[in-house]
Amino acid sequence: MGRIRLENITKNFGGLQVLKGINLEIEEGELVVFVGPSGCGKSTLLRQISGLDKPSSGAILINDRDVTEVSAADRGLAMVFQSYALYPHMTVKLNLAFGLQNAKMPKAEIETRIADAARMLEITPLLSRRPGQLSGGQRQRVAIGRAIVRDPTAFLLDEPLSNLDAELRVSMRAELGALHARLGATMIYVTHDQVEAMTLADRIVVLRGGQIEQVAAPIDLFERPANRFVAGFIGAPSMNFLTPEEAASLNGTPPAGAALIGVRPQHLEPADSGLTLTVTLVEALGTETVIHGEIAGGKRLLLTLPGHRPVQVGGQLTVNADPARLHFFDAQDQRIG
Amino acid sequence: MRSDVKTWIGAGVTAPVRLLAQMADVPLRQWQRLAGRGGMIGFFLLPNMLIFGVFVLVPLGINFAYSVTGGTAVFLPDRSYVGGANFDRLLDCTNHFDPNSCRDDVFWIAVWNTVRFVGLQVTAMTICAMITALILNSKIRARAFWRAVFFFPVLLSPVVVGLIWRWILQRQGLLNYLLYQFDAEQVNWLTERGWAFTAAVGVSVWAHVGFYALILLAGLQAIPRDLYEAAEMDGTKPARAFWRITLPLLWPNLLVVIVLSLIRAVQVFDEVYVLTGGGPGTSTLYLTQYIYEVGFASTLRNSGVASAASLLMGGVLVVLTLLQLGLTRWRDRK
Ligand SMILES: Nc1ncnc2c1ncn2[C@@H]1O[C@H](COP(=O)(O)OP(=O)(O)O)[C@@H](O)[C@H]1O
Ligand SMILES: [Mg+2]
Repeated sequence: MGRIRLENITKNFGGLQVLKGINLEIEEGELVVFVGPSGCGKSTLLRQISGLDKPSSGAILINDRDVTEVSAADRGLAMVFQSYALYPHMTVKLNLAFGLQNAKMPKAEIETRIADAARMLEITPLLSRRPGQLSGGQRQRVAIGRAIVRDPTAFLLDEPLSNLDAELRVSMRAELGALHARLGATMIYVTHDQVEAMTLADRIVVLRGGQIEQVAAPIDLFERPANRFVAGFIGAPSMNFLTPEEAASLNGTPPAGAALIGVRPQHLEPADSGLTLTVTLVEALGTETVIHGEIAGGKRLLLTLPGHRPVQVGGQLTVNADPARLHFFDAQDQRIG
Repeated sequence: MRSDVKTWIGAGVTAPVRLLAQMADVPLRQWQRLAGRGGMIGFFLLPNMLIFGVFVLVPLGINFAYSVTGGTAVFLPDRSYVGGANFDRLLDCTNHFDPNSCRDDVFWIAVWNTVRFVGLQVTAMTICAMITALILNSKIRARAFWRAVFFFPVLLSPVVVGLIWRWILQRQGLLNYLLYQFDAEQVNWLTERGWAFTAAVGVSVWAHVGFYALILLAGLQAIPRDLYEAAEMDGTKPARAFWRITLPLLWPNLLVVIVLSLIRAVQVFDEVYVLTGGGPGTSTLYLTQYIYEVGFASTLRNSGVASAASLLMGGVLVVLTLLQLGLTRWRDRK
């Protein structure tokens, strides 16, 4: 069981309000990702849930029990730190055993749990080593192992992959996904990397400035961003935003009240009529071609085309989009329709 | 704006240095052309070697020479060669644990006093430094202020330390005055054997604890906070976190503290000499004071015996210093 409920969580550091009333419900077995720009309060929110820090106001419920005043140790959660925070003077095995020994678990049980976790994470040959003798990826596995052996109500992971190199990050990401599927445990995963968020999450919580901007499944977030911030934050390269005047030549008519029209670079394609842009830069990645351009009036526009396209810098290109792919926002930057 | 001023002041301060460096540049280039790069090493080491030689090596040699001579003459050429007689006198005991059975009983009283002092002082120092460092490392109010307070005695001259505490502890001192105000029984802190010993240990701990606490504090601050948070998530009680995480990770620093304070405790002299003068009787007489009194303070100066005693103590210190060097190397390798 691992249902977590956040009610109106706020957190102040001195005069600075870092969390501004967070309400969220996390279901049993769900993998929820907190994503947002650096400094938006992701780690702070995770620390309130973990019990390492106490919220200034609001309540935290785990399986309907109010744990706001309960110590970190007694919440039954396990945390994986960005720095791994392995005990440097203990062997891998002791690192895994330490929390269980604290709980006065019988030796035999500790042994089985460590053996199981080590097998699952393929770290059995490393058990007698110290963290200093491990590579980054191996340390990461040990850190996850330390959480697994505790058999926690939920896993809390704070940017667990950001200290790994790009290649390892991709493979560990896939492994974490598989691990979640296998354990079926509730996980809260913090990252500033939207690809990690999109690939791993059952649901994504987009945070900005200590507030939740949107909670949705990855694909819904991509297809129906609730506001301009989410629309711009999710998806790479970022969505193009046009005023109704600039977008007038695009297919479709904006609904009443639309102050801003958004269109993703992937959804713009060459067409006979539409927006004409002057190409300023072409990035040929092989798998896709990213074209930077300027439309009349000087607004910059981005589009990506699949595969390799020979496009001339300085040339003109007319593009258009499927009207169903357009996003409309009102004057308050909220989604329309 | 402020950084402008700083730059300006900095330039002013460094200008003479830069001028000197430029003046030295030409001759040094010439020298390097003659001596090669290897020769430059010797050149730069020379000033330090000179100082080390004049103030350490030469006196050490003279000390050796004095230790095998006798009589009361001050100048070495006037003194007679006695071979190992001074060492014989110092080491001649039927039972080394009983100063009364020794030819030079005062030396052995000083030896065993020093051993007792070192044992208690190093233990007390390590524990006090540890507690101080833990407190200074916690989230207390005005932390920087308290750090300064504890470090301040380290900056005092040992004589000042001795005097301050004598004023406090002497028969009509501050402490007894306070006891009198509260109608408590007054104690002759410095003239009762047990109390005098305790005072000697206590004052020397007070005077140096800030230094060792600083070493431990540096070690404590080098332990990542994440570890304690991981331990907290792991359900570790604070006491267990101390024994299982803080202490093992602080162990290298702790070893340095123990060995350094050991070396200094063996050499104890100034603050205790000012505080108790070695008394009552010989109860706080330590080795350095013995050497000082035999060699310089008594009417019949016996430089030979004092030198021999210095060499014996020096031998012990060399062993301890090597131990410290070994430990530091071991720590750096870890
Ligand atoms: N202990 C603290 N004291 C003061 N400010 C803090 C503290 N912890 C975090 N903050 C501030 O709170 C904001 C959010 O921090 P954090 O939760 O770490 O962001 P992130 O989303 O990058 O994890 C930042 O502006 C940070 O400076
Ligand atoms: Mg963070």
